[in-house]
Amino acid sequence: MIRLAWWLVRAQFTTRRMATALSMLAIALGVALGYAIHLINAAALADFSQAMKSVQGEPDAVIAPRDSAGQVPLALINEIARDADVAIIAPVIETRVRIDNATMAVKLIGLDVFSAAAVTPKLLPRQSDRVAGGSVFEDGVYASPTLLARFKLAPGDAVTLVRGDTHWRTRIAGDLPAARPDDLLLVADIAWVQARFGPAGGVSEGRVRLASGVRVGNWLGAWAGRLPAGLALRAAEDDSARVSNVSRAYRVNLNVLALVALLTGAFLVFATQLTAVAQRSTQFALLGVLGLSPRLRLWQVLLEGLAIGVPGAGLGLVLGYVMSLAFTQVIGGDLGGGYFSGSAPAILPRPAPALGFFALGCAASLTGALYPAWLNRIQPLAQALKTGFAQSPPSGGAAPRRRRWLKGAAMALVALAAIGLTRLPALFDLPLAGYAAIALVLVLGIGAAPPVTQIVFGALARLRLPAPLRIAVQNIVQAPLMAQVAASGLIVSFALTVSMVTMVSSFRTAVDQWLDVVLPAPMYVRSKGVPLPRELLGALAQPAAPFEKVERSAAVSLSLDPQRPAVALLVRELDRAEAAARLPFTGAVLAAPADRLVVWISEPMQQLYRLAPGQSLRLPLLGREVEAFIGGTWRDYARQFGAVVIGAADYVALGGRFEPTDLALWPRPGEEAAARTWLAKFTADYGLEMAESGEIRKLSLSIFDKSFAVTYALEAAAMLIGLFGLAVTLAAGVWLRARELATLSALGFDRAMLTRAVMFEGAMIAGIGLVIGLACGVAVGAILTHVVNPQAFHWRMKLEIPWLQVLPGAALSLLAGIFASRFAARQATRLPVAQVLANAQ
Amino acid sequence: MLTITSLSKRHANAVQAVFSGLSFSVQAGEVVALVGESGVGKSTLLNCIAGLEPADEGSILVGRQAQDIVRLGEAARAALRASSIGFVFQAFHVLPTLSVAQNIAVPLLLAGVAAGEHAARIEALLARVGLAGFGPRWPASLSGGELQRVAIARALVHRPALILADEPTGNLDPRTADEILALLLERVREQHAAALIVTHSQHVAQCCDRVLTLTPEGLQ
Amino acid sequence: MRRRSFLLSALLLGALRGAAAGDGGVRYASVERRTRLAFPRDHGAHPAFRTEWWYVTGALDLPRPDMGFQLTFFRTRPGRAEDLDSPIAARQILFAHAAITRPGAGLLHAERAARANLGAGFSTADCDVHIGAWQIRRHDEGQGGESIRISMQDASFAFDLVLKPAQPLMLQGDQGYSRKGPRPELASHYVSWPQLQVEGAVALDGKREKAAGRAWFDHEWSSEVLGPDSVGWDWVGINLDDGGALMAFRIRDARGASVYAHAALRDRGGRTRQFDAGEVQFTPIRTWTSPRNGAHYPVELEIRFGPHTVQTSPVLDDQELSTHRPALINYWEGLVKVSGTLSGRGYLELTGYAGALKL
Repeated sequence: MIRLAWWLVRAQFTTRRMATALSMLAIALGVALGYAIHLINAAALADFSQAMKSVQGEPDAVIAPRDSAGQVPLALINEIARDADVAIIAPVIETRVRIDNATMAVKLIGLDVFSAAAVTPKLLPRQSDRVAGGSVFEDGVYASPTLLARFKLAPGDAVTLVRGDTHWRTRIAGDLPAARPDDLLLVADIAWVQARFGPAGGVSEGRVRLASGVRVGNWLGAWAGRLPAGLALRAAEDDSARVSNVSRAYRVNLNVLALVALLTGAFLVFATQLTAVAQRSTQFALLGVLGLSPRLRLWQVLLEGLAIGVPGAGLGLVLGYVMSLAFTQVIGGDLGGGYFSGSAPAILPRPAPALGFFALGCAASLTGALYPAWLNRIQPLAQALKTGFAQSPPSGGAAPRRRRWLKGAAMALVALAAIGLTRLPALFDLPLAGYAAIALVLVLGIGAAPPVTQIVFGALARLRLPAPLRIAVQNIVQAPLMAQVAASGLIVSFALTVSMVTMVSSFRTAVDQWLDVVLPAPMYVRSKGVPLPRELLGALAQPAAPFEKVERSAAVSLSLDPQRPAVALLVRELDRAEAAARLPFTGAVLAAPADRLVVWISEPMQQLYRLAPGQSLRLPLLGREVEAFIGGTWRDYARQFGAVVIGAADYVALGGRFEPTDLALWPRPGEEAAARTWLAKFTADYGLEMAESGEIRKLSLSIFDKSFAVTYALEAAAMLIGLFGLAVTLAAGVWLRARELATLSALGFDRAMLTRAVMFEGAMIAGIGLVIGLACGVAVGAILTHVVNPQAFHWRMKLEIPWLQVLPGAALSLLAGIFASRFAARQATRLPVAQVLANAQ
Repeated sequence: MLTITSLSKRHANAVQAVFSGLSFSVQAGEVVALVGESGVGKSTLLNCIAGLEPADEGSILVGRQAQDIVRLGEAARAALRASSIGFVFQAFHVLPTLSVAQNIAVPLLLAGVAAGEHAARIEALLARVGLAGFGPRWPASLSGGELQRVAIARALVHRPALILADEPTGNLDPRTADEILALLLERVREQHAAALIVTHSQHVAQCCDRVLTLTPEGLQ
Repeated sequence: MRRRSFLLSALLLGALRGAAAGDGGVRYASVERRTRLAFPRDHGAHPAFRTEWWYVTGALDLPRPDMGFQLTFFRTRPGRAEDLDSPIAARQILFAHAAITRPGAGLLHAERAARANLGAGFSTADCDVHIGAWQIRRHDEGQGGESIRISMQDASFAFDLVLKPAQPLMLQGDQGYSRKGPRPELASHYVSWPQLQVEGAVALDGKREKAAGRAWFDHEWSSEVLGPDSVGWDWVGINLDDGGALMAFRIRDARGASVYAHAALRDRGGRTRQFDAGEVQFTPIRTWTSPRNGAHYPVELEIRFGPHTVQTSPVLDDQELSTHRPALINYWEGLVKVSGTLSGRGYLELTGYAGALKL
């Protein structure tokens, strides 16, 4: 029996090479996309956490200020060190400095070699032989090999490290032999970093290794109550969770897209297998008559599905691997998401996920074969042997009218469910209900295909059309299955494409408008996290400076929740009265009581921490908890994990040091060129970055486009699969009617007329598919824009349907559909009429 | 080999029965022709005997074990067809995607005959139907007569107890039809099988051992 | 003299060498014969000197007989970052070393290192030195009573012991001025406290057991002890069974000859007799060869001083220690029994046998 099954599979593959290959390719594409995303992301995450481990080591717990401007007092470090449950505490000071006024700032880590040996061994410095008589405790810094290469430095070289107005003239005393290739690091003795750059009397953080047998949770609990308000003690495990959380939503989003690609692949298998079953209905009927049991007739089709799925999925794994290599080389490990920076991470395929994706591919292909297999199993043998494929199972008892009514009711229910799902909040911080709603919309679209085809073609059948066209229309009215299958393939793929284009376009428009508001000044200067030099700030205050207005700002980060990435605290020179005009608020701006501190939170912040204007917010600021009034919510597309704006005057009043890192500059009218020249001196001396708002805007949008590169690739893939499906089903439909076409030929229709009829049919089917697909696409796009985006990424925007892209896309797809049907028609009409009539069986 | 008792059949939603109370039997080695006007239910009767259409009443005992195909489930009916019935059709129904030998091997595979025997049996039978050496050829290259010879070989290869033939010569020119009919009868008798041949042809009917005529009133 | 200085990591050796050459600009305090020691202040640290150590060794009878233990703190002032304006500048660095000898079951050891004021610290007023939770600390118990608490914990062992003096301090050499070489500037201030009663607990593999025995406490500080021709030393500190105390050492050159030697014997009545270089003789009787590095340690030594001749015999041959952080330095230090004209138990230290020590 296995032999017979194998003969049939082989026969199927050799006679329908194109359709089989396309189905395989579609499955391969789905698997490849999913697998590539998985590989890249796994590699990037591993890379990122390894990078973090090499810098942070592998402590059990970390004590750090909740405010990036804060510090851990030495007394507390020493107190924790004396705890018998603590094996060792490694204090570090981390800061960013420029080397000799280079534009790029690098990380300088001050460490204590004694404790670093146990906690962060990868950061241990090595004294260079070329630097005579030195030691790690002396004036000198140690550089990672990559940094030495990047800055063309060698041990012994004198360097000046600059942070704001502080300069440290020192020398390269050696290197960091265990640093990773991506690490751009300087290491020096902690005391030297403290003496040069601060913080006085404290360190940036302490990394704790617990004594063996001590439970992290218990120990954290014991210390939690004893810490000052501005400090947080966290389990180091939280850090990896946080790293993973950084890109989680983006990743899930991409994986859902891959799943859609896989589903489209399953659909193509469905189309292929359905047509295969239809084309071979007499063969299967014969085998049934000869004694092939119904169960084996079912299995045969499933087996053929699997025979497509197995090589398809295998090919997909290979393709996915290749794609992941290519992607990491071209776009980087963050899939364009901008979450992790650094060079391309190493792709390391492991067996379990590979098997998982392989199984997924096979499952998709089996799923696609399920309905055709069932249809094959229930074919009435005697009838199929005589007249060929029966499209629907022998009808049951229910009257057609009642059935139609039931169908309508079911579809209304699905629509209601989809609407309901869009109202649900995020689950596990993921827009799962939104994804489910999208699935329902697609189901609805596919479900709408049969009634719409019937209605449209029914109406066409009543028109006075030329004979060939009428025959084509009549054919679909009588036997709509193939048309419906072809249409639903297009519905799914076009809906997906339209929705993606809509979402991306809405997002891009929103970002564009937002950039207008957040970039009001013509010029910007920034120092990338290092305080701006006092000389520049002083010069700007002089009347000779060619600017009519200068706004300074600084940023620190606050840790509100150890499980989440830190929130940005933006210190800006703005008055509480004028805030409304300066920030892109999404709603009302509330006037705070005069005696209360007011802050304005970003939209992601509002959603992540479930806040609302008018409420009060406790911020871990400057070593204590500060209660602030939330004056309003402003739109922010730049910081996914939340941001808070505070007035610089308020910040200083609280005791904070306002060290501006960014400047917005309005040159005096007519003095733009002079302003540039004036600034150039400072930017050159201090390695600052100057940009005009136009450049920033261009750069922002190009980063945006890059981040959607994968999305575009998926769209293209989906559309191709949909068109493949259309071609395959149309060809099969035409083939099934070869005898009919031959008869018409014999009756005097010429080939061109027949081809036109088939093309007309193809155009009608494609048109219906595209129209329903467009409707579904807009609906899905709205769900993506209004439900998935806010829930996954916490940004909201207006829906913008890019008709200029959608309509030409639809026209192109229609043309492709017509072309596919023309190809199908020519294939069918090329056979000699007599042979078809004689050998139709 | 085939015993039909009080067989009745009515199409779904039809008022009039196709036939009712049919009883007859065909012995091993006996070739019986079934004739009658178009639409009288010859094909339906044949489908009922093959278990492809359900009968409403009566019994149809098929094969050496005399199993009642009316009372069997779908899978068991398929198994009974595979083991005990051979089919010859007017439209030949040779699978275009399998070679001649593979086509003939299908019943052997379905009946579970040991794979080692296949080649010899197929070769021998091909010789008996006048197609020695045709095994590796593809059906597309065969003439109608040759195709029907393949079909006859396929119908006989698993040595069924009953051969059902539906207009086996209907698509052939008279000379070839004679040859094929002679071959069919010869081979059926040689294997001592029972055969029921549905035909419109007087000539075919005359060549059979017995002729049953189906009319709206019943068998005559 | 002696000990622990070789615990310095290679990373730090550069620092020490530079300072010794005098280019660091640091002026260490020097050991003067005329200095009179006062307690408890001189139990505390002397950060003006280059090196200092607090050293407790002992033999336990509980939980098992002849179980050895030691805890050492070593302070060094590398002479670097002296002028750096930071509370955590590496001006004073502490090392600690702990070990337990289990006869028949091998040696356990652990070490710690930290700079003062960053996970470690010391007092200049009294004996109070710690790295993390490891500590040696003197307590006044009222009514003139006092005790020393030592505690440490590591993954495989821990102890927490209280040492009670039964005898007065033993000031080595001339009232605590102890010569280490033929030149008078090679000297240290050296205070011993023998015959301390030990009570407390020892934990091995997480199992805590009551501990009791006798210990020896040393405190020594100096700025220059070893001459350029010296490669290592042999040293013993023995609590004699009759209540007396014996300390003896010799410093060896590359050929194994003594560069300098000294011994001090305090009898149970409290009378101390000093034996000078000419009166002290060390002779190897049996050597044990390390399977790890092939070094031959004279674990059985004959020591003659004045009228006395004693032999050492280790409770366990393999009491070799390796410090790994980061350079590997091997030496032998462990509990021995002493027999001959005197009998007792105490610690023997043998250095410079697995490669010359460089200071």
